[in-house]
Formats: sequence, structure tokens, C-alpha cells
Amino acid sequence: MADDSTDPGALDERTENTALREALAAEHAAVWGYGVVGAALDVSAQAVASVSETAHRDIRDRVVDLLAERGADPVGAEGGYALPFPVLSGTDAAALAVVLEDGVAAAWVRVLDQAVERSTRELAVGALTAAEVRAVGWRATAGQSPATRAFPGLPQS
Amino acid sequence: MSPPLPSCPPGFSRRTLLAASAAGLAVLATGCSSSSADEREKVTSQQADELTAQVAVQEAVVSAFVAAGAADPALAGEVADLAAQADEQLARLRAAAPGSSPSAPPSAGGAPPAPETRAWLRTQVATAAASHTTACLDQSGARAALLGSIAAGLAGQDGRLA
Repeated sequence: MADDSTDPGALDERTENTALREALAAEHAAVWGYGVVGAALDVSAQAVASVSETAHRDIRDRVVDLLAERGADPVGAEGGYALPFPVLSGTDAAALAVVLEDGVAAAWVRVLDQAVERSTRELAVGALTAAEVRAVGWRATAGQSPATRAFPGLPQS
Repeated sequence: MSPPLPSCPPGFSRRTLLAASAAGLAVLATGCSSSSADEREKVTSQQADELTAQVAVQEAVVSAFVAAGAADPALAGEVADLAAQADEQLARLRAAAPGSSPSAPPSAGGAPPAPETRAWLRTQVATAAASHTTACLDQSGARAALLGSIAAGLAGQDGRLA
């Protein structure tokens, strides 16, 4: 019944938590996806994937703690995810890493759009920025040009 | 069947953001509105002033690319994509801050000759990224999303210039 009286256009803790759950789901997917990325990379490049995976684990854990503190159920990880394309080479792996980082970037922009707490925006813009910095490196590795984006995380026109 | 890797949060389309931005623009232009969407994007005068200030920050980035290109023509060709992205960011910021108006580009003079030009340009870009990040924290809704995205984009450029 509470939903019936909620202003659908208003920002509140509910909208913020919903967006955080979506960001958490994206972070779970990124952690899983980097396992695939690392397995397809040369040994010399696996350290970069490992660092990226650790970064996503860290932010995932922060969001889980934040939602738990609020009494909001954190969304769990799926058992597995469908890959958007076969990952058969190092270039494929880098391209998958781009997909992962772009996915979390979109989720964190959504958090910025829906947040009411300044501290949440601080968390979101930090996560978004870190994702884009990593994505730039992966786009270059994947041979994508330009490697940078004017509006990371914002929907494409 | 495994779920696909997410590429965009459900329910978050470009239309969503643009609609929110349009509502924000309407509020900035008229000063009041009663719709829930407009209410969501209501902006305080302080937020409006801060957004306008970020337009000036972005104008300085655009000018920095011009100055760097003049100081180091080889670098100009290398960073043409980045410069174009900075222009796009400025246009979007101006559209979100209707109180702002195109002004004479602030002087970004002082771009040193090669080989120091790249490091100088990188500093300008990183400084603007930090400024947009800080400003993002005190905005809300579509304005926070836009500033955060531009800040991230410039941080990516900073990394590319490294």
C-alpha cells in the first residue's frame, strides 16, 4: 500500500537503494566476468585483470555493507552469466572487459541520477571514474578507437 | 539459462535522462513547476550557480586543447578526438545550465612548447575532472549524473594522455 502513495518522480532512499542494488548486480557480473577475462589473457596481461577484479570486489563489498546497514536486502550474484560474444583471444578478453566496465559505469551513473545522499554520490562518482579509467585501457588493448568516451555511463544516442 | 551481462540498468534509457534534464531546464527557466518530474529536478539557486561555474571550467578545458595544439602541432593531431569530446561535453553542460551563455573562451595561454605541452594539457584536464567531481556531489538527479559522467570522461582522457 505504501507504494500507492509514493510520488513516482521523487528521489528518496527507496530510489537510491534500488539504484544501488542495480549497481551491485553489475559489480557481481563484473567480478564473474573478470574470471573469464583473466583466463583468456596472456600471463603477462593477467595482472591487470586481477587488479580490476579486485577493485570490483572491493566496491561490491562496500555496497553490500551499505545496503545491509540500511536494512535493504543486497542482491546476490547469479551462478553464471551469458557472455555477449565468444571469448577466444586476448583481444576478445579486452573487449569483454570493456563491456564489464561500461556496464558498471551505466549502473553508477544511474545511482548518481537517483541518489539523495551526498555520500552515495561520492561513492558513485568514484566508482564511475575508476571504471572509465580502466575501460580506457581495455579499449586501447582491444583496438577500439577512440579509447575515451565523452559521457561514460550515459545512454548512447 | 544464465542472465546476460548487464550493459545498462533496467529502466534507464537515454530518454529517461533527457526527460529529466528537460524538466530541470524548465524549472531553471521558470522558477517553479508542479509536476513530479519537475519536482524531482528542482534546482536551488546555489546549484544553478555551481552548474554555471562548471561551464566555465569546461570552457577552460576546450581552450587548453586549442592552446596545446598551437604550442605542439603534432600533439594537436594526436588529441583531436579528445578535443572533440571536450567540445561535446561543453555543449551538453551549456544545455543543462540555461543561465550560462557562450562567452569568449578563457585564455588558456601559457601552454609550454613541446615536450612539456602534453604534461601541461594533462594537468588542465585532470584539474577540470576534479572540479566536476566535486561539483557533482552537491547536485542531484540528471545534473549530478551529467557532471559525474563528464568528470569520469575527463579522468579517462587524463589516463590516455599519460
